[in-house]
Amino acid sequence: MVPHSIKGDVVVIGGGPAGMAAALSSWEAGARSVFLLERNEYLGGILPQCIHPGFGLQIWGEELTGPEYAETFIEKLNRTGVEVMTDTTVLELSPERVVKAVNSEGVWELKADSIILSMGCRERTRGMLRIPGHRPAGIFTAGLAQYLVNIAGYLPGEEIVILGSGDIGLIMARRLTLEGARVKMVVEIKNSLSGLVRNYVQCIQDFNIPLLFSHTVTEVRGKERVEAVMISEVDEGGNPLSGSEREVECDTLLLSVGLIPENELSRQAKIPLSPLTGGPWVDEDFSTDLEGFFACGNVVSVFDLVDYVTLVAERAGRAAVFPSSPQKKYILQTGEGVHTVIPQRIREGKDGFLFIRPQKSMRSVTVFLRWEEKIFYEKKISICRPSEMIKLNLSEIPWPQVKGEIKVEIEGTEIRGIS
Amino acid sequence: MSEKFDVIVIGGGVVGCAIAWYLAHFDLQILLLEKDLDVCSGVSKANTGIIHSRSYWTPRTLKGELHLRSLPWIEQAEKELDIEFLKTGALTVAFSRSELEFLKTLKRRGKIKGAEILTPQEARTLEPMLSDKIFAAYYDPETRVASPFQLNLALAESAFLNGVRFIFGQEVTGFEKEGNHIRIFTREGEYLSRWVVSSAGLSSSYLAQRSGENIPSLRALRGEYLVLDRECKDLVRHVLYPVPVGETKGILVSPTTDGNILVGPNLEVAEDEDTSTTKEGLKEVEEGGKKLIPFLPVSQTIATFSGLRPTSPDRDFHIFFSSRFPSLLHLVGIESPGLTASFGIAEYTGDLLKERGLKLSEKRDFIFRSSFPVFRKLSWEERKKLIQEDADWGKIVCRCEEVTIAEVKHALLSSPGASTLDGLKRRVRVMMGRCQGGFCGMYLPFLMAETLGLEEREIVKSGKNSFYLGKETKEVRSGAPLY
Repeated sequence: MVPHSIKGDVVVIGGGPAGMAAALSSWEAGARSVFLLERNEYLGGILPQCIHPGFGLQIWGEELTGPEYAETFIEKLNRTGVEVMTDTTVLELSPERVVKAVNSEGVWELKADSIILSMGCRERTRGMLRIPGHRPAGIFTAGLAQYLVNIAGYLPGEEIVILGSGDIGLIMARRLTLEGARVKMVVEIKNSLSGLVRNYVQCIQDFNIPLLFSHTVTEVRGKERVEAVMISEVDEGGNPLSGSEREVECDTLLLSVGLIPENELSRQAKIPLSPLTGGPWVDEDFSTDLEGFFACGNVVSVFDLVDYVTLVAERAGRAAVFPSSPQKKYILQTGEGVHTVIPQRIREGKDGFLFIRPQKSMRSVTVFLRWEEKIFYEKKISICRPSEMIKLNLSEIPWPQVKGEIKVEIEGTEIRGIS
Repeated sequence: MSEKFDVIVIGGGVVGCAIAWYLAHFDLQILLLEKDLDVCSGVSKANTGIIHSRSYWTPRTLKGELHLRSLPWIEQAEKELDIEFLKTGALTVAFSRSELEFLKTLKRRGKIKGAEILTPQEARTLEPMLSDKIFAAYYDPETRVASPFQLNLALAESAFLNGVRFIFGQEVTGFEKEGNHIRIFTREGEYLSRWVVSSAGLSSSYLAQRSGENIPSLRALRGEYLVLDRECKDLVRHVLYPVPVGETKGILVSPTTDGNILVGPNLEVAEDEDTSTTKEGLKEVEEGGKKLIPFLPVSQTIATFSGLRPTSPDRDFHIFFSSRFPSLLHLVGIESPGLTASFGIAEYTGDLLKERGLKLSEKRDFIFRSSFPVFRKLSWEERKKLIQEDADWGKIVCRCEEVTIAEVKHALLSSPGASTLDGLKRRVRVMMGRCQGGFCGMYLPFLMAETLGLEEREIVKSGKNSFYLGKETKEVRSGAPLY
């Protein structure tokens, strides 16, 4: 095939759960030239390596594994005319909606009416955390380790310490234990869990793996391969407490310390990004602040459930075919107790979702929406955690008549650890 | 091994490779022995890569003399080695009237055309992010920036291309006389040569001692660094030096040839050649950087590392013949500006050997190296053409640095080729970007094993015991097919 320039209705960048659902929904909304570009050799993003169950409960009431969840979409895509290009890496994206990509057939230039960004996220690294010490082999991000075990068929090592209680780390603690490796401990710098409680119960508690809150890794030891890590208790500000340092022998350090939306292409296209999430500002249809660009899934902000990613991607896919007026009625601001809100702009507020990530674990929680100091919406929830987004339906909210800024706040009693 | 070499160079760092490359211009049988699995594995892999200008030479020292002697080589080296020394220029920043004196010294010492002392406003026009607390700055257009890896590798490749042989994993343990030759013993074997040049970095004083010299051991002075994401590439355009307080140039902020920003190094004593980074050290580097650039985006740090300076007690270079082995030349204490001075050191080494009787007759057929294309730096037209020739050019394996399978394969199969993951990293920048191998770490060990015909579990990060993969999973061990 001769590489060429293509004009399309919709180009979707990234074929993970967000991109697959978005491409499918654009097709279902009537777009007939839809391109789905994926840099990997297969679709699904991270799903194929997530062989554990738990996917799909929210949207289908059914528990699937990652590969099964991905397969559902791949099968649906196969029944459409969506042009799937795997092994294809997008290198340039212009504000004029021109995508430049390469694959083994050559250089591709695609110009589309709508571009959907679904590049997902990457894992935070040791370098970003600036963990001091040697730089031996044996330090992996949890997702990389998951790939090595579940796809490549190799253990990362045998004596494991996991830093961070993010979901992939918790799941890998179980997976590696089942594989006969010894997971010596999970250490978490905060005083509360970063991942889902169900993952704590099923992956840590059920396997008697020690989880140390308010602890962190302060040094990596070992010149060639990891030989040990130093761990330390930390104060509220995350600073190691002197005298609490001790050595833990291990040959592997896994890092499950957060995910970062991958927005290098968004920056190239000059799409306005939120400094808080690192992703584009979006409205309830996941339209960005730059006309013709949509963004969905973890490229916007890291979602804790793939089900939510699917829900928002479907909205983005539809909106990319029927774009609505760029006028936004309300701007949402994070207030007291709130870490992030997605979306940050509301055009109409008639349908769609509001995802709120709390700053702390709390019980007896109230979520408030304020317009000029006046509370116009309030919802009570028994418990909230930073690891679990609160999902509200926009249609439940009695939006004020007048345009303006709206503050989202959460109140409640703080809880520590897992309770 | 009964083969006799004219010259054996011990050490595959930038200086050892420069010497091998320089001598390869002449009709000589040359062997380079390296203790690690690759060139550029010790002192040379961790430094700023700055080609310090004439303003920064140290008068009345050998290091100063060789620094000056090296600079005229830069342009020829660019042609012969097909590499780039980025013309960044530098600003040395004074924060007080007393520091201004040092700037004047630099100007006087360098006598560089176009160099001048700038007012704070002028300096901040050149570098808008510079601190507003500065008193004056010295602008020096001569300073350049090299990639320490690319320079070291280009020298090695060019040497190889011109007949130098390389043997890795050869830690030298001793020397013996054999007629007018020297027999070198390593842990793995022995080699015979008429002349030997020991350019062994941190091990150089040890090797001198092994050959019977009574000299003090080197001290390893460590420097730690922060590397910032390429997204910060417009932060600074020039190398920014502070006015030094001690004997080093201080913590600087510098652009790199690949668009990252480098901050460091500090100065601390390293026990047992320990290349760890420390919390305090990294903090010091951050503070040093922020003194120059108050809004230094340290949250954009993608990696930290430390390097060692092999320092002699008087902080000078020491290049001398062994008293027991008249044809064994030791290079001891080659620290900063060792990279800058490497060409001068090589030429000087050649002169010393010649004075003692090594015959240097110039080769007629010396081959210039041409560097392999770097996909990220190519135009779309060039990319298109390469993909048509070889589909591997269209397969990106590292998307942070946009590295293709074609480049990885070339780095593995060229000579001297990468035999470790770190070697691959230094050649083509895989695992060196913002994900630090989080993505390409999924493919590279397997691509490497396949290309080199190795078992996957044999793949190492750097040293021979730095295995990347653990054992196979139960499923694989049971013989079940994967997915």
